[in-house]
Amino acid sequence: MTAEDAARTIFNGLKAAGINLIATLPDINLAQLLHEVEVDCDVIHVPLCREEEGIGICAGAYLVGKKCAAIMQNGGFFNSNNAIVTTLLQYHIPLLLLIYYAGDIGDRTFSTSGGMTEPVLQALGIRHYVMREPSDAPELIKRAQILTEDSKRPVALLLTKESLGRRASIKSQ
Amino acid sequence: MKRFDCLGKIAKAASDALVVTSAGAVTLEWNALRPSDGNFRVRTLGLCSSIALGMALGLPQRKVIALDGDGSLLMNLCSLPTMARMEPKNLVHIVFDNEVYEASGSKQTATATGTDLVGMARAAGIRQALWTHSVDEFAGVAMEALNGHELFFIGAKVTTERTAVPPYPMDEVENKYRFIRHVEKTEKIAILKTNLPSSYT
Repeated sequence: MTAEDAARTIFNGLKAAGINLIATLPDINLAQLLHEVEVDCDVIHVPLCREEEGIGICAGAYLVGKKCAAIMQNGGFFNSNNAIVTTLLQYHIPLLLLIYYAGDIGDRTFSTSGGMTEPVLQALGIRHYVMREPSDAPELIKRAQILTEDSKRPVALLLTKESLGRRASIKSQ
Repeated sequence: MKRFDCLGKIAKAASDALVVTSAGAVTLEWNALRPSDGNFRVRTLGLCSSIALGMALGLPQRKVIALDGDGSLLMNLCSLPTMARMEPKNLVHIVFDNEVYEASGSKQTATATGTDLVGMARAAGIRQALWTHSVDEFAGVAMEALNGHELFFIGAKVTTERTAVPPYPMDEVENKYRFIRHVEKTEKIAILKTNLPSSYT
């Protein structure tokens, strides 16, 4: 799947799950996905300066009935920790986190962030699922949204390069 | 200016607005003046403005007021450009600047040595950003903001004088549920949904 097709698949999965407000902060690997968010007329797109404020924005929007997702890189997830702990976790507020997995196996440059991502998610008690196939996106997002709404805790989907169509999956090679 | 006096001037005019109060005594003072399930207390220092922004974006037809502090806003200055960019016309962002971290032993914040939060809001792109210099001036500007339909940022330098008010009557989770139910009732929408277990169908 191309990056454009993968982005469309993921974005359509978000809409099918009822997501109607998306807070974003760019990463080059998220470019196509963010483009889908930008051009859509129905979803409220909130481009952020810092991921931490996105947690607050999504929490506020949830409290008035929106279904939110935050799309960011794992560095941005690290930035958001206090907001996640003292707003999302403390108040039992759901949020679908789509986190680009910089420093995944095979990546250069981000191995420290990559190595810390899952341990930190685990330490925060945030259930997280690594996406490797873009075609898995619609069902995975649907299930993650059910889980976050039911548990009233944030749930994270880790977007790998493969899931974004930016690298061929191991299976395909 | 005393923060409690300023709040007293807008308690009635706030009407049925949703009000987000920053971590600190502003929450207690506001809840003493306008008790309501439409009040939401923030615990993450800095997120008052962002949570209010999220509410304003989610309910564009409803007035949302953020009662913020200098220590809080300094921690989340990037909320200002984002607020300016989204430009929600139903949001009024009020900052009571007492130049200290009131809940942390009253150490000075940067506004004590010249940082101008209204200047920052204006530079971030918020057109209606202004200081008020007396309780009456604050009341006048706040009324204009509450009755109008434009993003407003209102700064008020206040003293650190405390007001005896009752403690906050509930924990965060109860606040969340009461607030959501209040929005459901007043907006006639369903937010919290429950499902019948499969064993019942």
